[in-house]
Amino acid sequence: MTVVAPPRPPAGRLGVLGQIAAQRRTDVLTELGDASFRAMRRDARGAAPARPFAERLAASGLHVIAEVKRASPSAGRLAPAGLDIAAQARAYAAGGATAISVLCEGPHFGGSLDDLRVVREAVALPVLAKEFVVDPRQLPQLRAAGADAVLLLAALHPAARLGRLVWQALDLGLEPLVEAHDERELERALRTPARVIGLNARDLRTLAVDPERAVALVGRVPGDRVVVAESGIRDADAVRDLRALGVDAVLVGEALMRAPHPEAMVRSLVEAGAVPDDAAAAARAPLVKICGVTDEAGLLAAVRAGADAVGLNVVPGTPRCLDVREAAALAGLLRASRTGPTPRLVAVTADASPADLARIVEALDPGIVQCSGHEPAGVVATVRRPVWKTVHLDRAPGTPATGQPDPLEAVPGIVAEVSTWLAMPPVEHVLLDTAGGPHAGGTGVAVDRRVAAAVAREVPVVLAGGLDPATVGEAVLAVPAIGVDVASGTDLPRRPGHRPRKDPFRVALFIKRARAARFDRPTVAARPTPVAAGLLDVDARGRWGTDRAFGGRYVPETLVTALEQLEAAWAAVREEPRYWAQLRELGQRYVGRPSALYRADRLAAALARRVGRDAGSLHLWLKREDLNHTGAHKINNALGQALLTRRLGKSRVIAETGAGQHGVATATACALLDLPCVVYMGAQDIRRQAPNVLRMRALGAQVVPVTSGSATLKDAVNEAMRDWVTNVATTHYVLGSAVGPHPYPLIVRDLQRVIGDEAAEQLLEVEGRLPDVAIACLGGGSNGLGLLSRFIGEPAVRLVGVEAAGEGLATGRHAAALAGGSPGILHGSRSYMLQDGDGQVVEAVSLSAGLDYPGIGPQLSALFAAGRLEVLAATDAEALDGLRLLTRTEGIIPALEAAHAIAALPRLLAGGVGRPALADGAVVLLGLSGRGDKDLGVLGGDEASAT
Amino acid sequence: MTTAPAAAPGPADTPIEPRGTDDTPGAARLRAAFARAARDRRAALIPYVVAGYPDAATSLAVALAALDAGADVLELGLPYSDPLADGATLQRASAVALRNGSTFDRSVELLRAIHEARPEAPLVPMAYVNQAIGSGDPIGRLGRLAAAGASGVILADLTPDEGAPVEAAAREAGLAVVYLVTPTTPPARRARIAACTGGFLYTVSLVGVTGARRRLPRDVTHFVAQVRAVARGPVAVGFGVSRPAHVRRLARSADGVIVASALVDALGPDGRDVPRMARLVGRLARAGRWSGAQEA
Repeated sequence: MTVVAPPRPPAGRLGVLGQIAAQRRTDVLTELGDASFRAMRRDARGAAPARPFAERLAASGLHVIAEVKRASPSAGRLAPAGLDIAAQARAYAAGGATAISVLCEGPHFGGSLDDLRVVREAVALPVLAKEFVVDPRQLPQLRAAGADAVLLLAALHPAARLGRLVWQALDLGLEPLVEAHDERELERALRTPARVIGLNARDLRTLAVDPERAVALVGRVPGDRVVVAESGIRDADAVRDLRALGVDAVLVGEALMRAPHPEAMVRSLVEAGAVPDDAAAAARAPLVKICGVTDEAGLLAAVRAGADAVGLNVVPGTPRCLDVREAAALAGLLRASRTGPTPRLVAVTADASPADLARIVEALDPGIVQCSGHEPAGVVATVRRPVWKTVHLDRAPGTPATGQPDPLEAVPGIVAEVSTWLAMPPVEHVLLDTAGGPHAGGTGVAVDRRVAAAVAREVPVVLAGGLDPATVGEAVLAVPAIGVDVASGTDLPRRPGHRPRKDPFRVALFIKRARAARFDRPTVAARPTPVAAGLLDVDARGRWGTDRAFGGRYVPETLVTALEQLEAAWAAVREEPRYWAQLRELGQRYVGRPSALYRADRLAAALARRVGRDAGSLHLWLKREDLNHTGAHKINNALGQALLTRRLGKSRVIAETGAGQHGVATATACALLDLPCVVYMGAQDIRRQAPNVLRMRALGAQVVPVTSGSATLKDAVNEAMRDWVTNVATTHYVLGSAVGPHPYPLIVRDLQRVIGDEAAEQLLEVEGRLPDVAIACLGGGSNGLGLLSRFIGEPAVRLVGVEAAGEGLATGRHAAALAGGSPGILHGSRSYMLQDGDGQVVEAVSLSAGLDYPGIGPQLSALFAAGRLEVLAATDAEALDGLRLLTRTEGIIPALEAAHAIAALPRLLAGGVGRPALADGAVVLLGLSGRGDKDLGVLGGDEASAT
Repeated sequence: MTTAPAAAPGPADTPIEPRGTDDTPGAARLRAAFARAARDRRAALIPYVVAGYPDAATSLAVALAALDAGADVLELGLPYSDPLADGATLQRASAVALRNGSTFDRSVELLRAIHEARPEAPLVPMAYVNQAIGSGDPIGRLGRLAAAGASGVILADLTPDEGAPVEAAAREAGLAVVYLVTPTTPPARRARIAACTGGFLYTVSLVGVTGARRRLPRDVTHFVAQVRAVARGPVAVGFGVSRPAHVRRLARSADGVIVASALVDALGPDGRDVPRMARLVGRLARAGRWSGAQEA
């Protein structure tokens, strides 16, 4: 089909849009004559009731609004003359579209009201009338023709008129989608009560499309509106990015009209817009309680939207109070509902007597009783259901007056109060809410965020008070609460003399925003981590530890600017949902994530036998990073940093490698992302790990042998640093472990922590709890931190690292920086290392090339120094034995590096000096950092001749 | 076996903005040496000698020969296992020296011997930061260098961002901590580093590691002039300088020129051709004389 070139934008402030609008005005006057708005509105009442549009878009995920369009000024003719509009719409519906958009304008788009009627008849989905509304009478006209939603262009109307049109549409039951293209139009749009905001990447004056423009505007739309992105959306990747940005729907027209298989294309876009399957991400979501439901419609809305809990208020004298009979009826309805997983029912009380509480439990049979007043412990203890107890805080101060105490001083006391409640059965959760309102219970006003964050960091709490769809997202990012509770924030506007009622749209949107906020943000805390901050995060100067003694940036001056640039870039990228969504997509589609969690019973039994324990005494779970594409955990970091390279505007990648796994991973990522790659590898290691060298070269990387020093990993790092010093303007150095100058230890930790984040959810699913011990081998620390990071803030989980003892710690020929070293400065950071009295670096000795490094990452040094990390060491012989054992008992050949962790298990099981033996049935999570094909050569002759 | 963590003395509450060490006696001696050269109407020449290369006795001879051939200040490189700022020449020299028994103690002895033989020339050990503070007791180590005759110290992987603890120890010992600026240092940072360097400002001529170059970057004189504009004390240029033409070119804009790898190269493959090295030093020193307009 021929494409008509877009017309040159005509003179006039509104360009093409102005031209179309002017014509529309003329045509409408002709069409409608002097029909009155009132008369047309009367006619519209006879139309079939509108299908819900905004509510559908408020459901989770990004929805597809598929458009039927015969032509457009920018694209020319889009459909053959005999196009079956109904069939096209049905194809869209079959593909999973949430709504259909129909062009109603004739001269430029080839549309009509007839098209609207035909489409509405053909599908059960809501239909958006894509019309140029220049006359209010078009609204009842469209409603009468069956439109469920209508486009209003902010560009065409000054604020007052736009507002009027929005009200008129809403009044007709016609959902307005108010579209903006720039900040000024958006501001006008937001001043109206429109619930659906369209962001058009196309400038209708000039027809030029600028996708980043729309992206920039998304952040300006508050969370209580639904956002639809329009124009230029052609593929699944774009849709994925938009979902990660928080966009609720895309409107796709041209791409679908041109698609040979519209149904399949819609389906691919719908799939791309669905919330990805990612247990670790989902686990970051807070539980959501919708409180103060007062009628059946509200109850159904909460159930449909997937609330975790629903609160029925039985506190006499409060606005949403139900009498016990009403509450019991709603409770019965809830129990009988079959529309999906049922929320738990919470009976909300305040300062009720034990007798009243018992009556309420009897009448409602709730899953939970909430005690929102100032009930003494004795009263709470009488409740025969799980209890949610409210702890009241002062409201957030407007402006703190001088002389007022610092609100943060109250934190330890609040933490103590919460802990006391949580320790007392039947209390299951504690809510933080504001105090001092006219009623017992909440006040609908926000808690001081800093106070809430400080408390939520130490103890698990549900955040209540003043939350709504516009504020819950940033609240959940700022406060690591495990749940959120909302009452007034999800209500319809209050009618005097009437009890508040739930707004299904706001209920759905609240849940959507609460759950989405942390989904693509793996670096945001989602639960309490009651350990010193220095063990979890670096400070502004790149230092780790309770005294901030480890880390820093000790580099030649030449590298400082590049490191500062890298630091700034990472600080931005790590908070960017699109980056993490892209990385997740690559991880799942290309790397094979999530990696399997495998229960190694035969290995566990063999280990237990060795120390005289029962076969079943150990539940040993292997987190199998060996199954990743490229065979080790290194790919997680390599891919993440390769993606980052492009964002830095660098065009060349260098890396160092020891065993070759990081080199292979980097070469792989560079092949995928089309980046030239140079890998520095010690000449000794090249000899030891020949297969990996072949792999790197096959992938297109240049492997440069390093002969200086000991010709192993540390020297490869030196040479890579020298290259970086020389080529810093064009080159990004993809450092392979959690070592090096700030920000590298942070970046590598952030990129590897997916290992433990996944493993925790996998374990929770199969064991119902977190591990008793998380154990990993330690070289530079990337695999170690990858597995252990999730558990640092879980005091009940023991963290164990196993270093390479080489020929034995006592011989001095080993690679155990923590167990056998001391703090010093190596490769840019202060951390434990092997050094002599002169500060010279002592060469590490280990059979395993990947652990053969005389240092360790600063975060691990910090954990060790604080006593949070236990360190063991396994010799070469012990590691080989561990390798053989896993191979023979489970048919899994581990990398020699990971075999060090296996070798330490018997000691862990048996216990030792200052170390308790593992309890029977202990759950141990072991990081299997890579596979051992590369190590088969060291197994020796007996394997070759074994029958 | 689990090892209890060793006590970790750390720079716990280090101030972010270092005070600098330009008010130390060592810094004063360095500035005086540059002033003397200026009075003589020439750029100061600062040769670099690797302590203990190829062995202790020879490196003493090398140092004395360099001083006698026209050095105003002498840098003494302390060999290090992991010299990541150095190119192949100095890497190799470091490795040979270490193999032949170079230690911190022996380097201190060498320093003392040089100082006793030639007390007028300021001596500046150049090392990596772990050699100064890695094993703990930075005050002790820097104190020993000062007692042996050092006036300042240059640490190749130390910038002012992490400089505070080292400066504190150096101040105790009366030593200057000489900082470096490079072509990748942005102007604002350049000025800050210039403000806190002690003795002189080490200006790295190129983006790269040490090593003799045939040509210096085309814009090096412009770069040095920019550095000079914000420097409060003398500016010495180093990295890559290998021939009199380089020195002539730099002498127009810098107060001093540092030569390292070229001298090690001049010692020949066994590191013993002291006369050849001394002749090179002489030619470089003469090339530093100010004259009328000259092309580089």
